[in-house]
Amino acid sequence: MQIIIAQVINGIALGSIYALLVSGFNLMFLVGKIIHFSYPYIVVISIYACWGLLQLTGNAILAILGTIITSIALHMIVEPLFRHINTRKGTIDINSSFILSLGIALILTEIMSHQLNYGFPVSFPINWMGDAVFLRFNLIRISSGQLYTLCVSILITLILFIIIYRTQLGRAFRAIAENISMARLQGIPILRLNLLLYGITGFVGGIIAILFSMLVGSASPWLGDYIALKVLAIAIVAGLGNMKGGLVFGLALGILESLILNFFPGSWSNAIAFFIMLLVILIKPRGVFNNSIES
Amino acid sequence: MRNRGEVILKIKNLTVSYGPIIALKEIKLEIAQGETIVLIGSNGAGKSTLLKSIIGLVKPDDGYIFFQGKNISFWNPEKINRSGIFLIPEEGGIFRTLTVEENLQLGAYHFFNQYQQQIKRVMQLFPILQQRLKQVAGTLSGGEQRILAFGKALMSNSKILMLDEPSIGLSPRHIEQIFQTMQRLSQQGYAILLAEQNIVQAFKYANRVYVLENGEIVLHGNSSDLKYHPRIKKAYLGS
Repeated sequence: MQIIIAQVINGIALGSIYALLVSGFNLMFLVGKIIHFSYPYIVVISIYACWGLLQLTGNAILAILGTIITSIALHMIVEPLFRHINTRKGTIDINSSFILSLGIALILTEIMSHQLNYGFPVSFPINWMGDAVFLRFNLIRISSGQLYTLCVSILITLILFIIIYRTQLGRAFRAIAENISMARLQGIPILRLNLLLYGITGFVGGIIAILFSMLVGSASPWLGDYIALKVLAIAIVAGLGNMKGGLVFGLALGILESLILNFFPGSWSNAIAFFIMLLVILIKPRGVFNNSIES
Repeated sequence: MRNRGEVILKIKNLTVSYGPIIALKEIKLEIAQGETIVLIGSNGAGKSTLLKSIIGLVKPDDGYIFFQGKNISFWNPEKINRSGIFLIPEEGGIFRTLTVEENLQLGAYHFFNQYQQQIKRVMQLFPILQQRLKQVAGTLSGGEQRILAFGKALMSNSKILMLDEPSIGLSPRHIEQIFQTMQRLSQQGYAILLAEQNIVQAFKYANRVYVLENGEIVLHGNSSDLKYHPRIKKAYLGS
């Protein structure tokens, strides 16, 4: 029983990272009108940036800042590409944005597997991971790293949702999500808000990179593939573009994976998690929640 | 003819084409403060294109649009909207997934510091919205949605309200309500430019009428004069 509780706590920490990733992905789908499949790849390369900065300077604050800046900068670099695709025909073209996204993902993976650390996986120093025990109760052991991850990801998710549902910026985002041409007609500055959207997503991506490096402690060039498939699956199972559904399923997948680890060898966790998602999508082909941003 | 206010929108020789198709040809039009103008014409005559080119969605091939003395022909919709022209499109002009209050807040996007006084004014004009503030806009009735679109337009500092077929899909009672609202607004000094198929109502409330056919203005004048023009009677009033 205690082991299960420990795994659930671990799962919540991992799931909250998935939930954040899916939130960023969904926000991009709704407001940016793109399938941001490259998001997890940008996160992974930001993890590399974090590792590199730690190696070079050994300064944690510098590494954290550098990670966030890398993620935001990469988003700013891809923004004109996506914008070009979306405005080329005067209509939104979500499909070609997916192809572009795949291309960006492949390029980033290639860079990681050839140029960074000779293609070897990187691992973070043990003190970065916050492995110090924060709480120990018989078999339950919560490290400070887990605790940080949990608190920060809940905080960031909360801030993200407050922005979307309680501020003027969020109202404008939801208006764009509902009808971009009407939003433009009614004086909402689409271009400026789009840049802001990429900035916000980039910032959240940087935070995710830091949390992931603290929780897992390593990264490899193939990590992007691994996460991206999960993010896409969660988003589709929850209902593409459903912010709250993504949150629920992100957490659920994290917990599910950790629990599976308890009963089966580690390599099975992916297969079983995807099998369960397959069942869900067979029963509810349009996603469990509706495709909407309604409150 | 009653005294016209200051002319705030002036269109000179506006020509617009979609590829090889000429949608508008040398349009000349003027709107003064407090004036209600109706564009009539069959489907495809160019009414919507004219409204779209004023708001900046369609760029002119030739000609100018002056708003309060400034040439706005090549401004983008966002800038034109901010400077005081508001288009309520045919499909309603509200965001259905947002609440009434959020819609009004977005109406005041560029003027959020004046939000409190603006909302007070709008609530006085349209008390019905007061009870609906927290309701999702998509659940309002058709007439209420149009009222909300008006309310939203008034949240900004709009001087010209343009409406594309506001009576479409509404019951006669609601149509009457919409036109009365427009009348109240024009009494407050708003200029109203309306594209409309409902000729009877349009003539009743408009000061002036422009008749569009195949992208050209074939007839214009005071509504009271044009009402009995043989061409209008024949084409639109069916008698």
